[in-house]
Amino acid sequence: MIRAFGWNEVLFIVMALRWTLALSAIAFVGGGIGGLAVALARTSSITWLRLITTGFIRLFQGTPLLMQLFLVYFGMSILGLGIDPWTAAAAALSLHAAAFLAEIWRGCIEAIPPGQTEAATALGLPWGTRMRYVILPQATKIAVAPTVGFLVQLVKGTSLAAIIGFTELTRSGQIINNATFQPFLVFSLVAGLYFVICWPLSFLATRLERRLARATAR
Amino acid sequence: MTAVDERTEPLNGPAAPSIAVRMEGVNKWFGTFQALNGIDLTVKRGEKIVVCGPSGSGKSTLIRCINQLEAIQAGKIVVDDIELGTGGKNVHRVRREVGMVFQSFNLFPHMTVLENCILAPTKVRGIAKAEAIATARKYLARVHIPEQADKYPAQLSGGQQQRVAIARALCMNPKIMLFDEPTSALDPEMVQEVLDTMIDLAEEGMTMVCVTHEMGFARRVADRVVFMDRGEIVEIAPPEEFFEHPHHERARVFLGQIQRTHKPADPATPTI
Ligand SMILES: Nc1ncnc2c1ncn2[C@@H]1O[C@H](COP(=O)(O)OP(=O)(O)OP(=O)(O)O)[C@@H](O)[C@H]1O
Ligand SMILES: [Mg+2]
Repeated sequence: MIRAFGWNEVLFIVMALRWTLALSAIAFVGGGIGGLAVALARTSSITWLRLITTGFIRLFQGTPLLMQLFLVYFGMSILGLGIDPWTAAAAALSLHAAAFLAEIWRGCIEAIPPGQTEAATALGLPWGTRMRYVILPQATKIAVAPTVGFLVQLVKGTSLAAIIGFTELTRSGQIINNATFQPFLVFSLVAGLYFVICWPLSFLATRLERRLARATAR
Repeated sequence: MTAVDERTEPLNGPAAPSIAVRMEGVNKWFGTFQALNGIDLTVKRGEKIVVCGPSGSGKSTLIRCINQLEAIQAGKIVVDDIELGTGGKNVHRVRREVGMVFQSFNLFPHMTVLENCILAPTKVRGIAKAEAIATARKYLARVHIPEQADKYPAQLSGGQQQRVAIARALCMNPKIMLFDEPTSALDPEMVQEVLDTMIDLAEEGMTMVCVTHEMGFARRVADRVVFMDRGEIVEIAPPEEFFEHPHHERARVFLGQIQRTHKPADPATPTI
């Protein structure tokens, strides 16, 4: 029996938005923490740390997100951790975000003139203090725009979690479409909802960038 | 400068070692390129050394080895009785005692002048913030910019920024100050204010190693001039002797070039 595409169906899809947002938030926080650690290791003077983290970044940048989701999902079951789309999607997207954010932030850290590190070092500041008070505050300013830009990619990327059975926005669209056979309407709504999330983020990125530009011109 | 800083007391006290920096057989390579070759140099406490030489001769590398911004591959450096070898041990102890001023100022642009000055004292020496601020204001007054404390570096002129950089280094109460061409990036009209600050510092008894081509400054302040070429110390002599009667041909050639390109910043000092 074919269901009509009515308010209940719309509501079902709109409600699924929270899972997309939740997954994005988890991946962003997980990716942010991991990404910072990887970026710091990637820019350190310790060779083996640099090599390992470079490999990690290359691996995740050189493979499709969908494969990363599959590998984490099936890898978890092979390791006997059970098949849980939530955990798998969160883990895979966090790793993915960590790799990409690390690469973005590495660029921002390296964009700070070496004289800053030299001056801080000459003043006797150890590595951690130097990073925290001198390098990262400056790197953050230039990192904001590309980071929010990546967040937009990440939100859109969560749609792939539908394939391993995680019911977020895209998957709820597929479910409703299977019942109503109104693909154009259904997926227009789904796309519209992604846009409603992503467009303000892009807008925010531009605003933050402008405000920081003003602050640094002070 | 009026009041003599309390720093000069223990500096000249009997307990203080009389040698500030001793470099013995220091060799430094960048890859296969040898930037320093068998450097032997002893700087006495309170002594002012001016290092000069052609571009690429290793002047910056030499002073950057003293606070280990560059690691050395052979030889020994002793700073304030703390030994630095090739292993990178003791670097943190040495850096606390050695202040450095760079050609490009290298102030932290996201911090006010005052914040620039108190960062290291509070985070490295663990001095209370209020005390660090008081010290910073004292040194900012000494370099004649007490009113700029709450500005950001970008709001200051080059000469003011360099004086902040000097004050920032002094806030750590260093025993030795290193200067790497501190006036080379400045507009000509700002050179003298920075040199005057350095002269004040010299007169207060600070141990200084300055890479500079300001010959007026060298004549007035330096106890000895070190002339470098191709990673080696070619000549060490008191300024009068070095400028009037350089022994080595390379030094004569270099002085000839300097004379042509550099006008002395201090009009009171006769041209060499
Ligand atoms: N990080 C580095 N890597 C490779 N080579 C370097 C590095 N730093 C300096 N060198 C080389 O070492 C030599 C000495 O450099 P240094 O900066 O000490 O010269 P300098 O006497 O200070 O010159 P200048 O008057 O131009 O500042 C130069 O030939 C330079 O190219
Ligand atoms: Mg130099």
